[in-house]
Amino acid sequence: MNIFLHEMRAYRKSVIIWSCSMAFLSVMYIFIFKGLGRDIEDFKLFLSNMPDVLKKVFNIYVDRISSLEGFYSFVFSFVVLCGAMQAMNMGTSAVAKEIRQKTADFLMTKPVSRGAILTSKLMAAFFALLTTNIIYLALTVLAAFIVVNKFNLILFVMITFTLFFVQLIFMALGFLISVTARKIESVVTVSLSTVFGFYVIGSLGSFLGENRVRYFSPFRYFDTGYIIEHSAYETSFLAISIAFIIAALAGSFLIYIKKDIHAA
Amino acid sequence: MNVIEIKNLTKYYGKSRGIVDVSFTVEEGEIFGFIGPNGAGKSTTIRILLSLIYPTSGSAAIFGKDCIKFAPEIAGNIGYLPSEVFYYEKMKVIDLLKYSASFYKKDCTKRIHELAEIMDLDLKKRIDDLSFGTKKKVGIVQSLLHEPKLIILDEPTSGLDPLMQQKFFSLLLEENKKGAAVFLSSHVLSEVQRLCSRVAIIKEGKIIKLEKIRDLTENNYKKFKIEIKREIGRSFFDMDGISNLEMENNIASFLYKGNINLIIKKISEAEISNLWIEEPSLEEIFMHYYKKEI
Repeated sequence: MNIFLHEMRAYRKSVIIWSCSMAFLSVMYIFIFKGLGRDIEDFKLFLSNMPDVLKKVFNIYVDRISSLEGFYSFVFSFVVLCGAMQAMNMGTSAVAKEIRQKTADFLMTKPVSRGAILTSKLMAAFFALLTTNIIYLALTVLAAFIVVNKFNLILFVMITFTLFFVQLIFMALGFLISVTARKIESVVTVSLSTVFGFYVIGSLGSFLGENRVRYFSPFRYFDTGYIIEHSAYETSFLAISIAFIIAALAGSFLIYIKKDIHAA
Repeated sequence: MNVIEIKNLTKYYGKSRGIVDVSFTVEEGEIFGFIGPNGAGKSTTIRILLSLIYPTSGSAAIFGKDCIKFAPEIAGNIGYLPSEVFYYEKMKVIDLLKYSASFYKKDCTKRIHELAEIMDLDLKKRIDDLSFGTKKKVGIVQSLLHEPKLIILDEPTSGLDPLMQQKFFSLLLEENKKGAAVFLSSHVLSEVQRLCSRVAIIKEGKIIKLEKIRDLTENNYKKFKIEIKREIGRSFFDMDGISNLEMENNIASFLYKGNINLIIKKISEAEISNLWIEEPSLEEIFMHYYKKEI
């Protein structure tokens, strides 16, 4: 519990900054949506003249653009990108920071098992992300209610919830990378390049119209168009996400418990 | 019961050697020294004892329990001070110490303040504002605050000024009197001589000597260097106990082992302008043991 609290204290500031910035992005779009008002039909016309590829890459669903959910899903893909960075950073640094700050010797000679250390770190990262999502959701829903008032709350929440899924995937990936690497000099470099890598793969997939590419980019696991149409998530991708998270975390534990912690 | 029991411990990092077939025991209430030059395998041995790294073969037990299997349980009674200490930089000293104490199942508040007073440590400062030596002091308090039964120290005096070293040593002796065993690694012979009752000497990953410090000092080599006024022949130094004689211009240097009075008398026969008597360096002692081995 003490490690958990210690970690949470370290996350406090970053959670507030990330969640508020992401919420700011969305709230701005909610205002733009309101501002467009009746002109939304003209906007729709403009968008429908855009090449299909671009629409796909940017998550634009012309039919739905006149509803807040549809409009929101456009900005939401950027929110997810930010969220992925936050989660990946968090996951990667959880173990790597002890090595980089050379505090691993301190922590790991305490009367706690390595499993317990990793569990505490995992729980802390999980709760930090959960808090991020709660703050983000609360702020955007609040703004949507105040500014627009008429929208499908369930769809809105369902779309927003995918942020959490994607974040958990990247957090798990971050954990796996950080226990595998001997020492990570710059967490940001590793996490940004990985996140952008997957983002580009996902966009490239849409660009090429290749559906199978979706499996390789968590950014494309949760298609907002599908969610709006069916009020559900795609089961296969949900299953892949859960399977990946479990596998990555199980792998992290196995590696971390057996790992040699080298001297500073 | 032995506090530490190491049997045929071997560790390879890939292909490079860590330690090879190391065996020794540390008894209850003992202050045990572990000396050797840098890279000999001192830290490797200590890191295995702390289960930070895993041995390639062999076994190590503390308090009669396997170091790896029972690591968390054993750690509750171990205080560890690494050669270089690193802590969470943004924390205040007192918060760090409280965090450290929170891992042990007892209230350490009183002891923290006692130790901080002895070591003259300001608890309100932030870790990243501390100098290397002050960080070491935090390390000392941190390693002793839960009154461990075994204190493991890896080159403990680096960075500490002589006054603090003195205080630290008397603190260690006090803990030892209360029943704690101390395992201390160092490459400074004199510091081991001051504290320890027994030593293990390690070189290139292998234990080359295990003996009581009393025996080691009895066999004590002294390094003599004499500046001579008037030329004397090499034959002047024909005497039991003198080895490694070197003469260069008017300086003679040699190692001497034996009754110190005899050599002083001998030197007094010559007219000298200067005299140095030094502890031989660790390397020189190793040379000696190496010769014996061969």
